[in-house]
Amino acid sequence: MSSLLELEGVRAGYGPTSVLHGVSLSVPDGGVVSLLGANGAGKTTTLRAITGGVRWTGEIRLGGRSLRGKPTEDIVRAGVAHVPEGRGILTELTVDENLRLGSHLRRDGADVKKDYDRVFEYFPVLKERRRLSASTLSGGEQQMLALARAFLMKPRLMLLDEPSLGLAPMVVRSIFEIIRAINQTSKVAVLLVEQNARIALELSSDAYVLEVGRVAVHGDSTELKNNESVRRSYLGY
Amino acid sequence: MQELFQLLVSGIATGGIFASLALALVLIYNAMGLVNFAQGEMAMFATFIAYALIQRGMSYWIAFPVTLVLAFAGGILVQRVVIRPVERAPILTLVIITLGLATLVNGLAGFLFGYVPRSFPSPFSAQTVDLLGVFISYRDLGVIAVSGVVLLVLYLLLQRTTVGLTLRAAAFHPEASRLLGVQVSWMLALGWGLASAVGAVSGIMVAPILLLEPNMMQTIIIYAFAAAVLGGIESPLGAVVGGLIVGVTINLAGAYIPHVGGDLQLAVGLAIIILALLLKPNGLFGRAAVRRV
Repeated sequence: MSSLLELEGVRAGYGPTSVLHGVSLSVPDGGVVSLLGANGAGKTTTLRAITGGVRWTGEIRLGGRSLRGKPTEDIVRAGVAHVPEGRGILTELTVDENLRLGSHLRRDGADVKKDYDRVFEYFPVLKERRRLSASTLSGGEQQMLALARAFLMKPRLMLLDEPSLGLAPMVVRSIFEIIRAINQTSKVAVLLVEQNARIALELSSDAYVLEVGRVAVHGDSTELKNNESVRRSYLGY
Repeated sequence: MQELFQLLVSGIATGGIFASLALALVLIYNAMGLVNFAQGEMAMFATFIAYALIQRGMSYWIAFPVTLVLAFAGGILVQRVVIRPVERAPILTLVIITLGLATLVNGLAGFLFGYVPRSFPSPFSAQTVDLLGVFISYRDLGVIAVSGVVLLVLYLLLQRTTVGLTLRAAAFHPEASRLLGVQVSWMLALGWGLASAVGAVSGIMVAPILLLEPNMMQTIIIYAFAAAVLGGIESPLGAVVGGLIVGVTINLAGAYIPHVGGDLQLAVGLAIIILALLLKPNGLFGRAAVRRV
């Protein structure tokens, strides 16, 4: 499989504080890759660098093309759906308006309609609450909305920042099932940032563990899961 | 009773004018948390453009939309050239810049068109129509109709179109909107364009009443502030309701409270601002400000 996303020696930070000290990783076309690590290891910053939310040096390529100097909007329009920390729900708008912001750039009307049907199949609750303000949704429902909206963008790559954060285990299960379904049926590549290493490794084929801004471990998800010393020292379970 | 109804109707007409300008203020406030002190002057300048077009023989109803388009383009230009370079500056800096812009536009209008007040044509006759014993001027009805149509068009644009949706998204959450592919910077420009066009409507509507000159909007902007603050500075609906309340209030105060008529009407507008801020700081339709500590 060819690489859809490649990071090479990416350094980034906020003002004088540098957070990433040379991160290299790659996400294959249609693959699922986990990015794990403790709080403050630089997982969120890595995602933000990819969509231009933070200045970086090194190299980031999407489909072989450098993303250097590109504004966030252009990177998104090139096929990257980034569900940020905190989910990025527009709580002043309705559920439906949030979804429409996902699909607003698409010109393939018939397919958009099909994708809405798919979304409401995945998340029936969003159909029921379509006309309501997004602020009335529970945390789990907001995560569903964020995922549904990202799906409606018809991306080549999804960047998911801790989809399990603050959710009940059962909700987490069902959300991860749907991430798997989206990846498999729509061939969307996923870069998944998680604190919950156990569930992330079940979904991904490949995983990277960040430690203070560097890749400490990289390997096959199954191997990492079965490697007790990695599990103890980096994954905390 | 009859007199009261007449005052109410002309108050609503005046209120429609305030509402348009207040709405312009609210649009920009929502987009960048900034009160645009140059809004009235921009509206005045647009009215001079309409005047020049009509003077050159263009019919009123062609000059009107042409002016709105020019005002729209002018608003975008101002945002791109004047505001965008300092977009990230502290809010006080931006406020000072809009004050400077107001002075600049005012001076430019004086330089180009002079300070002699000019009578501006109204397309509506000054005659009155007898509606169930209440005499209402066509001019008031016309102003109410034009303001109503403009507000309705703006409402539909913001609430029912994709552009309106992205515009609102960019105003509420610029960061989250960027991640959805919204070109936030252009949305800000679009907001300035729309505000400028809506403001121009208020200028064109008020000019036949006040006479056109560079300082024409300086009292109107105070009423528009009063309307926006009363409605809750973030709420478009509040701006409209606030505008109508202010219009009706100053009309009634002018007629019924001794000594207010004419000279002290502006004081009533200021009193509304102060009362609104004291009694209901978030306005009638504003959301309570929540601050994380």
